[in-house]
Amino acid sequence: MATVREKGYYHWEGRLTESRFPWWPITRTGILLAFKKRGFRFLFAGAFLPAVVFLAGIYISERLEDFKFMVRGSERLININPAYFKTYLANDGILFLMIMVLVLGCAGLISDDLKHNSLQIYFSRPLRKQDYLLGKMAVVFFFILIVTLIPGLLLFVFKLVFAGSFKFFLDYPWLILSVIGYSLILTLFFAFYTLLLSSLSKNTRYVMILLFMIYIFSDILYGILNGIFRTPLMALFSIKANLQQVAAFVFAEKLPHAVPVFWSFLVLAAVCGLSALVLHRKIRGVEVIR
Amino acid sequence: MTTVIETKSLSKWYGNVLGLSDVSLEIEAGITGLLGPNGAGKSTFMKLITGQMKPNIGGVTVRGEEVWNNFRLFRKIGFCPEQDAFYEDVTGWEFLTGLLRLYGFRPAEVTGRAARALEIVELTADKDRKIRSYSRGMRQRVKFAQSVAHDPDIIILDEPLSGLDPLGKRRLIRLVKDFQSEGKTIIVSSHVLPEIEAMTSRIIMIHQGKILAQGDIHGIRDLIERYPHMISVRCADARAVAARFVQDPSILKMSFGPDARSLVVETHNRDAFFSRLQSVVLETGIEVEEISSPDDNLQAVFDYLVVR
Amino acid sequence: MKPKANADFPSFGMSFRKVFAFFFFLGRKTGKARVFFLLGLIPIAIAVMVRIVMAGRSGDVVAVFNEILIVFFVTFDIVILSLFYGTSIVAEETEGRTLPYLTTRPLSKTGIFLGKYAAYVSLMFLMVTASLFVSFFIMNGHRFRDPMLYLTFLRYAAALGLGILAYTAFFAFLGTFLKRAILIGLIFGFGWENVIQYFPGSTQKFSLVHYMKSLMPRRASGGPFSILLFRLEPTAPAVAMVMLVLIAAVFLALACWLFRMKEYLFEE
Repeated sequence: MATVREKGYYHWEGRLTESRFPWWPITRTGILLAFKKRGFRFLFAGAFLPAVVFLAGIYISERLEDFKFMVRGSERLININPAYFKTYLANDGILFLMIMVLVLGCAGLISDDLKHNSLQIYFSRPLRKQDYLLGKMAVVFFFILIVTLIPGLLLFVFKLVFAGSFKFFLDYPWLILSVIGYSLILTLFFAFYTLLLSSLSKNTRYVMILLFMIYIFSDILYGILNGIFRTPLMALFSIKANLQQVAAFVFAEKLPHAVPVFWSFLVLAAVCGLSALVLHRKIRGVEVIR
Repeated sequence: MTTVIETKSLSKWYGNVLGLSDVSLEIEAGITGLLGPNGAGKSTFMKLITGQMKPNIGGVTVRGEEVWNNFRLFRKIGFCPEQDAFYEDVTGWEFLTGLLRLYGFRPAEVTGRAARALEIVELTADKDRKIRSYSRGMRQRVKFAQSVAHDPDIIILDEPLSGLDPLGKRRLIRLVKDFQSEGKTIIVSSHVLPEIEAMTSRIIMIHQGKILAQGDIHGIRDLIERYPHMISVRCADARAVAARFVQDPSILKMSFGPDARSLVVETHNRDAFFSRLQSVVLETGIEVEEISSPDDNLQAVFDYLVVR
Repeated sequence: MKPKANADFPSFGMSFRKVFAFFFFLGRKTGKARVFFLLGLIPIAIAVMVRIVMAGRSGDVVAVFNEILIVFFVTFDIVILSLFYGTSIVAEETEGRTLPYLTTRPLSKTGIFLGKYAAYVSLMFLMVTASLFVSFFIMNGHRFRDPMLYLTFLRYAAALGLGILAYTAFFAFLGTFLKRAILIGLIFGFGWENVIQYFPGSTQKFSLVHYMKSLMPRRASGGPFSILLFRLEPTAPAVAMVMLVLIAAVFLALACWLFRMKEYLFEE
């Protein structure tokens, strides 16, 4: 039997299925938008430099034996142990680089949506607040994990490869879990930190300054207060110091500050909690102007 | 009439993208409508004549003076930009008075002018509310108010009716016509053709960065010889009327409406048709309910010009 | 009857004055001004804490903490404020698309730029000086009768004021032509300016902070807490003042020229 169809719109006869990951388009867009900035691409590439340096260190540590005759009487210059991995993940430089990546790549995650009134558009879709926030957080996860977890795991693998045995793994079987665990803690904290500040203003330039300023200022404040009160408790004011405290705990190293690590966890958790509270209030489809 | 704004071979590129190409115009006092679809080059033209951009080729003068970096001209120019952008942390009153002070008016004069401007756009009751809390229409009105508060001679309005409800549009159109009667020069851009039609019959049509046509809308229509005029006659017996015109050589085409009570005729010679129609009506006694020209409007003219 | 308009055409001076008044008013209304003002409360809070904690201790210790507070102002507060407000001069108008409201007024572009610059510099100077004044006199409350104290305060205020002038001018210049001026500004303000102090000889003179530090009053005893003056090879104060003013003037001139010549297209 012949049929003649009309040109134009056809009603979809199939079944509409919900996406299993409704947050994924938000994440993908956020990542692509960040990479569109030339300065960010350059900075992001530079964030891998420490990983290259540490990898070279692992290589040199394995090859040093070959050059022992050149270095008479010296100990191994580079000792590859959990402290080495902790140093990679929590040194001042890498933390600073992460902040710069967030400043340039993630400052506008929520502030741009507030500026362009995009929240109404988002929530007129079948998208929950959690999906929106997860999508935005996943952008931060992507950038931070790529700079921490992936190189951290690769350093571990390369250590085994260069050593030619599993001795390192048998000596420190928990190390891989420490790398994963600390990377996740770092990523989660920075995700909450970034989204909290990004949700505070429609002006992305202002958010960029806030992201940088609060991180740096917390450390300056610690220095000032420590100079006044001469107590290691003042380290709790510094974001960097708290992250380094937690790193030392996770890698079973000596804590850099004589403060119970529980307090550092509490401070970081408090920032995350504050962020969750502010985001819950700020992220809504309708803006009420008083 | 003296030329107020003149452009000579005005051209503007955005990198490799052509914004405006070889635009030579003379705009006189009164209302001139600048119309074209989105992306046609209307805003580019507006930005060039208000000195926000510098042309790549050619120039634009206002009252004989170059516009670019000539801030003194803006004493007598008011501009209502297309963008919905404000200093959001201020009230409508603060916004207007702040911008008025930039002209160097005395404080009493600033207050008087701001109050008057808000009155004519009917925002007096909301003047102390932050602009951030204004509705879309209110924002558009306060933007219009800042363009006229200092009593300029030349008013340039880029999509001024955007965001307004039908009543607001009518009020603004009436305001613009009032300004015309005061002898001001007004340039209004829009992509909504009936809005321009309601304000003026003097238009500049722009498409893909080029001027398609300029002048009176009816004059432009008459110049488009390729497309015959369409005339619709609604009467009790359209077929009887049609029968009288079948042999007329000036009639190119005839068609009937769905209810057979209207006849649509295409002809190159409108005057001859109307003269013959009078005779037919007298002879037959058929009552004519309505005569209209479906294509004697901006939309039809624009469609013809773009398609050719 | 229509009121008479002011018949004078605006000169540069009038443009400058009008724009200054407009943005000085506008700048105070924004939420960001409140946040930065709160930042200035931190040294006051620290000064109060120091007075409480160090009550009864020697004046020498109090003087030391003066220097710590000044480190906060010089290496952090001034830089952050100048970076934000300096880049905002143009970026605020282009991002907010409010530039047409200024450029379609009878105002010279140079007047617009400098008027806004002056407004923001004045705001910053007020914020910083208020904070400096309160924290300084809390720390030195026991020396109110000493006329040298006021001279010291004025020297600090002058150094910070000139620093604001120079930093804001530089960041304003960056903001006229760079899209990501904030990033470059952060690298300059917290990277270059901190690192350069470790360079010997004349290399220190390639930083703004060097001239600010050269204007700071120095304690006769020196001491281990002279963080600010660490490795400083100071320039003569008169020369330092001239250099800061000159640097501000040069960058402002460049910025004004760029602002006049450039077309600012809004992202659609």
